[in-house]
Amino acid sequence: MTLLLNLVLAVLMLLPQQQDQKARQGTYAITNARIETVANGTIENGTVVIEGDRIIAVGANVAIPAGAEVIDGTGLQLYPGMIDSGTNLGLNEVGSVDETNDTNEIGDITPHMSALTAVNPNSVAIPVTRVSGVTTVVSESAGGLLPGTAAVINLYGYTAEQMTAGSEMLILNFPQEPSGAAQGWGPQRSAQERKKGYEDAIAKLDEVFDRAELYDRIMTAYAASPAGKAEPVYAPEMDAIRPVLSGDRTLMLKVNAEGDILKAIDWVKERELPNVVFSGVSEGWRVADKLAEAGIACMVGPVLATPTRSSDRYDKAYANAGLLSQAGVKVAIRSGETENVRNLPFNAGFAAAYGMGQEEALKAVTLNAAEVLGISDDYGSIEVGKKANMFISTGDPFEPSTQILALFIDGFNVPMESRHIDLYREFLNRDEGRLQPMEVLPADN
Amino acid sequence: MKLVRLTGLLMALLLVNATSAIAQDVVIRNATVLTVTGGTLENTDVLITGGIISEIGKGLRTPRGTEEVDATGKFVMPGIIDAHSHIALSSVNEGSSPVTAEVSMEDVVNPYQIGIYRASAGGVTTSHLMHGSANVIGGQNETVKHRWGSSDPNDLRFEGAPRTIKFALGENPTRVHGRRGTGGTGAIVPATRMGVEQVLRNAFEHGKRYMEAWDAYDAELASNPRAVPPVWNERMEVMADIIRGEVLVHCHSYRADEIVMLTRVLKDYGVDKITFQHANEAFKVAPELAAYGAHASVFSDWWSYKFEVYYSTAYNTAILIRNGVITSINSDSGELNRHLYHEAAKTQRYGNLEDDEALATITINPAIQLGIQDRVGSIEIGKDGDIAIFEGHPLSVYAVPEMTFVDGVKVFDRAADPDDVRLEVDPEGAIGQYEGQITSRDHFHDQNEVIDFLEAFGDLEDVITETTHN
Amino acid sequence: MSEATAIRGARIVQAPGRVIESGTIVIRNGVIESVGRRVDIPYDARIIDGDSLTVYAGFIDALTNVGVPESDDDNPTGSVPDRSNPTFERAGIAPQKDVRMHLDASDKSVASHRQRGFTAALAAPRGRMLPGQTSLVLLTGDKASDMVLPGTRPVLFEFEGAQGVYPGTPMGMMAQFRQLYREADRRMGVQAMYDANPSGLSRPPYDEVHAAFFSVIEGDTPIISFTSDALELRRALSLSDELGFNLMAAGLNQGFDVMDELMSRGIPTIVTLDIPDRPDWAAKADQDSLDQVLASYNDDTRTATFRDIEAEKRNLEAKQLVARTEFLTMPARFAEAGIPFAFTTYGLSVNVMRRNMMEYIANGLSEDDALSALTVDAAAILGLSNVMGSLDAGKMANLVVTDGNYFDKDSKVTIVFVDGNQHLTGDCSGSGCSDKFSWGN
Repeated sequence: MTLLLNLVLAVLMLLPQQQDQKARQGTYAITNARIETVANGTIENGTVVIEGDRIIAVGANVAIPAGAEVIDGTGLQLYPGMIDSGTNLGLNEVGSVDETNDTNEIGDITPHMSALTAVNPNSVAIPVTRVSGVTTVVSESAGGLLPGTAAVINLYGYTAEQMTAGSEMLILNFPQEPSGAAQGWGPQRSAQERKKGYEDAIAKLDEVFDRAELYDRIMTAYAASPAGKAEPVYAPEMDAIRPVLSGDRTLMLKVNAEGDILKAIDWVKERELPNVVFSGVSEGWRVADKLAEAGIACMVGPVLATPTRSSDRYDKAYANAGLLSQAGVKVAIRSGETENVRNLPFNAGFAAAYGMGQEEALKAVTLNAAEVLGISDDYGSIEVGKKANMFISTGDPFEPSTQILALFIDGFNVPMESRHIDLYREFLNRDEGRLQPMEVLPADN
Repeated sequence: MKLVRLTGLLMALLLVNATSAIAQDVVIRNATVLTVTGGTLENTDVLITGGIISEIGKGLRTPRGTEEVDATGKFVMPGIIDAHSHIALSSVNEGSSPVTAEVSMEDVVNPYQIGIYRASAGGVTTSHLMHGSANVIGGQNETVKHRWGSSDPNDLRFEGAPRTIKFALGENPTRVHGRRGTGGTGAIVPATRMGVEQVLRNAFEHGKRYMEAWDAYDAELASNPRAVPPVWNERMEVMADIIRGEVLVHCHSYRADEIVMLTRVLKDYGVDKITFQHANEAFKVAPELAAYGAHASVFSDWWSYKFEVYYSTAYNTAILIRNGVITSINSDSGELNRHLYHEAAKTQRYGNLEDDEALATITINPAIQLGIQDRVGSIEIGKDGDIAIFEGHPLSVYAVPEMTFVDGVKVFDRAADPDDVRLEVDPEGAIGQYEGQITSRDHFHDQNEVIDFLEAFGDLEDVITETTHN
Repeated sequence: MSEATAIRGARIVQAPGRVIESGTIVIRNGVIESVGRRVDIPYDARIIDGDSLTVYAGFIDALTNVGVPESDDDNPTGSVPDRSNPTFERAGIAPQKDVRMHLDASDKSVASHRQRGFTAALAAPRGRMLPGQTSLVLLTGDKASDMVLPGTRPVLFEFEGAQGVYPGTPMGMMAQFRQLYREADRRMGVQAMYDANPSGLSRPPYDEVHAAFFSVIEGDTPIISFTSDALELRRALSLSDELGFNLMAAGLNQGFDVMDELMSRGIPTIVTLDIPDRPDWAAKADQDSLDQVLASYNDDTRTATFRDIEAEKRNLEAKQLVARTEFLTMPARFAEAGIPFAFTTYGLSVNVMRRNMMEYIANGLSEDDALSALTVDAAAILGLSNVMGSLDAGKMANLVVTDGNYFDKDSKVTIVFVDGNQHLTGDCSGSGCSDKFSWGN
């Protein structure tokens, strides 16, 4: 394999055209590859044909259209583009520089703030991410009870419209009951203050949703017959919550602690919200049976995290996704990352190693994720009719030793370029070809 | 009577996890042994006697009483060495002064901290516990072994390990001292990278003159019993020791220019051993580092959390190693240190390092940087019995660490260890509480270190703004 | 009025193990004149009928801020031009501060302490890392000089960092301590040289802070550390090992993890009366059910899935009880090992003193050992054995009178004598004393 890799890299590095190559749609045929369809098993030696933005053929014996650009996949593997169900990618360029952080708007109740608007399609982190085979992510706003929406985006495009892969979801940071554990950083509040803060948050949550229900009745009545009625007040927050009530918009409820998860399950049931997913769920394994019973899908992660309790077994965070899955919960895996979303496959790999198994872990970053996001008609597997999101690799994409060689997003053949790769090319042999060696250290005076 | 029964239970509490500080005899049989420095040996036994690797070979005969570990089908590698860690410390940053060479992490090692066990559950046997990056010249670090189970910090000490000290350049010290003015106290130099250089030179020059004054006193004393010793200065004592070559410098740094700046300053004071920590832009000056003989200890792939790491690359390690710079991969995190074997494997994706090259970044390379390479960092006869046993090759993402030995004493056993290994339990707090998690988003050096300092100095308002970027 | 007082027919506990079931004690001019089963009562003595009363030697609190009012200077905060180089005062470094200059005999804490039976104490100045020099005091008198006793004046040391300036962290404080100590040592040497013959030498630098270390370096004055957990105690011990000064260790919360080190060094030991509260889940449980929980502890519990959560909870409770028991049995273990120790209420409200001591007794400490810690052993640790700690003729008239066994939870302190001065806790005339005072919780 090393020889092949070196060959491939030599090709990648020596062809100057590669560096200026633009992403193109067209007709492509990837032949003789091991195809991991996810939905229909593995095809050991097969071909995929892409036309425009769609997959038009998948199989062991497939006719290649005339004029198709053929990519010989002999000895290589083909996977559906991976999907990360929870990131801040594109919303925060440099962590410590506040001006580059667009995740957190002022105000506790800002459900109308749209992350999709603020995602920077030209974030340096986007190419860095997609060359790992992650083609689609959820990018979340943050902060406060209702911070805004989460965008579902493909990692190629120059505008929000071009990048959109699914509907925006509404984020709810479910109030966290104060724990008896030591407080983290920040001003220390008394137990009483914390309890009051929690009760206030729950009350506020109920109040907001009560108002949303009222608003829904008003808007429905107004829409049915506006004649003679005063125009309803402008309430963008309410407009954002309204579709959650009917299930037209997914509510992404962020919750982690055992007690909070149980409360959230009850709250969702009381409100009769039809379309809810939980995100985070780091203590989900403790109440996996309740989550399965409630039929709530979970975006679980990060997997690469410490246990939530000092008394927990050391590998609990690795095992969490698998334990949920084994209890019958539908699990997608999220990285929670901003600039290192490329570690999603490694999160999945650890989940696989600590109980989930490779097959389920792969589903958790492909088809399951697509289903949870409501985009499985178009994404999450290699099937005829779906969008062409996939990548070619030298092996299992969860393994660090694997190289990703080619990438398709919505049928665009996206070049394997990123700033990290550019810097590698420039500095591997920095002074090569220079006529005079540069001075190593200033001479003593 | 009551007392007798309770005493029995009390013994059960602490001693159940206690590992004897005495080294032991154990033979690990029939494994694929990744020696790192001497190739890979199939179906091989490793015998540890009195805590030292005494034999490596097939079908070894062992003295009676030697513990037997059947490692058929498993992989054995040297215990992992983390060259940048802040676990097991009661405090991290004495951030009140830009130069605090006099303080030492030796004084604040915390053997109760559960991160010690959890890292050993990821194959780590030695960690370099460092002062934080709030100061240009921070405190002295402490190299420890993961001897979980003792309440005595001295039991963790890596006996004979060279002294090391923490320096820090760039955004952290300039933010803590120069660009904030915390707690109502004024801002002090450095606020810029220019100031950082001057703080370094100032400290070194005063250290040099202090050293000369004491040398002069010692010389004068021989002939003049009424010679007066110079004023004692703990801080300058350490600066002098650095100049004498008795303390290895490990410098938190990012930008290529500040890395080269430090080599200039060190050259002026005759300090030739230096390990640049993090060094995200070291790859840009790899030839210069190689020429100086400088080393680097870096992240596998962290970047973009601060401006000074915006222009970095995950190929850093590969570029450095290909240019002849001894490079290790560290964690600087109580989360990451549990899977350093996986971090090392990333050098195969980002730069195609060979297996032994990748493994070297977490074994023999950090050992060299900490000056303990005669004792640890590879599986060789005569070295300490610090071993990690894996199900699956450690460079595979599916690898599961199964057992870890320190000086031949088993400190981690996936099958046998109970879930709750805490050595100290709060006798009055609420039990079964959600405590949050450390994830890879929590950059220890960036968030916790500065917060630690600010918290100690009562400036919690600033702490809140500090945390929002994560 | 008479200068002599006799308590006749009382139960007299001269010291643990030396009890007179019915006897008489006579005090005059602040001294115990006589004590025994049958003792001549001087013609001029005022007689207190001791029927149903018990008399003990006055209790000693081995480290406390009693008599030292709080002041704004205790916790220096506020901006400084250069936080890396603050004044000693701003950094909480004041080893020269003499608590005797800060005593206030009328401070409420004096009466509060006395009402619990304390007659003497080692009074500590307030501050941060090096608050100053302690002093032995009697809990009586109208002015500070009435209180002060000559004797050892250990220098107090705590790991309380400077606020906002150097040194704020434990490692900073350790380095600063070493710096002060070693420079003081150098100055002592230079000063001695200078004093012998100044000719040709520059005047050695002098300041009170460094000077305060001189008698410590010479071995005449110990450092007394107050530590709140095992690691702080170890740090104090390691400074003592490294620099060579005499150490007295007070506080010792979590000291059970350092017992071997303490014992092997023979360090004077002063145990805190601060015990952990009962955790919420156990607050209303009776002792039997707690014992059952304790006995059920399984150190190899595995919580694999959601099915194991209940068992996990019970085991966490058990483990917490085991931990709590370690705290509560520590004084008993000292006693068992033959290590004498005293008690301290430093950092606590004196209200909790007896309740907490009873908890120690419920966990294996004998009443006699508890009494020793309050009296004869405390006196020995503080160098006061000649004058207090037991009811023997010739010693200072420090007495605690109760209306029953002191360790009986319903008994009350009725009269306290300090240096022969009678302090009533209730209205006491004729036989029996009415109990106006009751124990704080």
